[in-house]
Amino acid sequence: MFETILYGFTIGAVLYLFSIGLSLTFGTMHIINFAHALVYTLGVYSFIGFRDALSLGFVPAMLIAVVAMVPLAWAIERFVIRRLYGERLDYAIIATYALLLIGTDLIKVVFGTLPQSINVPIHVSVNVAGVGISLYRIIIVLVAVLIFLGLRQFFRKTVVGQIVVAALEDNEGVRCLGINISTYFSIVFVIGSALAIIGGILYAPISTAEPYMGMHILLLAFSVVIVGGMGSLTGTFYASFALGMLMALVGRFWAGGANAAVFLTMALVIIYRHTIKPRLHRR
Amino acid sequence: MAVLLESQGLTKNFGKLRAVNGVDYSIEEGKTYGIIGPNGSGKTTFFNLLSGFHQPSSGQVRFDGKDITNTESFVRTGMGVARTFQLVSVFESLSVWENLVLSTLRFKQSSYPRALPFFFRKANQEESLEDCFTALETVGLAGKAEKPTTVLSYGDKRLLEIAIVLSLKPRLLLLDEPFAGLSDYEIGFIMELIQSLSGKFTQIIIEHKISKLITLVEKLSVLHNGSIICADVPEAVLENAEVRNVYWGRGAGCD
Repeated sequence: MFETILYGFTIGAVLYLFSIGLSLTFGTMHIINFAHALVYTLGVYSFIGFRDALSLGFVPAMLIAVVAMVPLAWAIERFVIRRLYGERLDYAIIATYALLLIGTDLIKVVFGTLPQSINVPIHVSVNVAGVGISLYRIIIVLVAVLIFLGLRQFFRKTVVGQIVVAALEDNEGVRCLGINISTYFSIVFVIGSALAIIGGILYAPISTAEPYMGMHILLLAFSVVIVGGMGSLTGTFYASFALGMLMALVGRFWAGGANAAVFLTMALVIIYRHTIKPRLHRR
Repeated sequence: MAVLLESQGLTKNFGKLRAVNGVDYSIEEGKTYGIIGPNGSGKTTFFNLLSGFHQPSSGQVRFDGKDITNTESFVRTGMGVARTFQLVSVFESLSVWENLVLSTLRFKQSSYPRALPFFFRKANQEESLEDCFTALETVGLAGKAEKPTTVLSYGDKRLLEIAIVLSLKPRLLLLDEPFAGLSDYEIGFIMELIQSLSGKFTQIIIEHKISKLITLVEKLSVLHNGSIICADVPEAVLENAEVRNVYWGRGAGCD
């Protein structure tokens, strides 16, 4: 049971790192960015590339992969996402999904479809109450929590952070203050992409690195963003861990039901928000 | 007096609806102007064209001699065109103070954060304190600076919105129904505020009740179905037969 809980926290941590970018892009630009999954997958493959080509250790290869992906993330925002700004929601879905499919096929051409092996960098197991649990999983959870706390400070205390918080509420209002908001959207987009890549690389050793890895997590993260509230920074955090835990608990008893449980929760939340809550307020 | 803002043949179509129809409008620096018209007459759309929220279907907007027809809204703010909204627009996720700090950002650094120190810089920097405080004092909100915006009354939020646009150091203030949703007391306060600002700024006020604007503005324009049907001193507008007809219906009284 203890392991299941830790497993839930691990999934939650990875979901959080992936979802934050999805949530910010939706919250600020009102765009559902399916290409986020491509950046995630490409990040893991470039990690493998740098690791093998330069014989690097886990952490240096991860840092280089993140930095190497920044221009790509910037270019996706600048040349695809920004053109969709203010357009209909479904246009953005089609365009970014197309990007995801094209990119996934390119990965298959270059790296093949077989899963790539990434070794767990830390094999230490910690003894908690007589049960041995993997230190690596604990580190993943800690990284997510630290990033959450760091982001919270960033959004509360810094100029860029406050502009983004204001833009989440009303981006036309921010433009009214004479602030060129697209610059800040680029920053947010790149931050979100970098975090997703970190999440992907951390998760790869304990899952499988294959061309569709981004697509698998995309739909789960989409549920996280809806359950947590689109554009809600803390909501995304709590929803990630809640849904991660749900997956672990359901998966322990019925492996096939883990994903279904997440989508069912999303459906219930949507029904609650749009049907039940408005009626409660009316009374 | 120099012409500060003018529009020529300004037109905006939404599909088949012509919301603003060939408006020629011109204002001089330092005066206070009013625009009235029934709901749906195109007042807010006209403001959106002046402030850059909409692109016109045809026509031209000039500000201070420069063609700004296709200039983005945030650039216009930088040039000195500031606006408020019919529904109060303040950032409820920030405190009163942070709302103002955000609005004075533009003056401290170019809008592009090139340097990392800017990126991570704390938002409450001393250089902006004075400007922010002056703006809050002008509207009488100085005592509530530290409060979260969510606890303010609607009237206080309107005052905060005005403080925000004042801190933008505008040359032209576009006030979109500043009295909407306020109590009589609050309306009185904002009318005094507008009067105290006239002369310092050029102002255009949108309102659908003519009675509030008579004493405030030097020139009143009446929009009807997207066209200006009358533009004159308020007293003359009141007497205009066409205005009386379309605005109140035949011979009805003023509200």
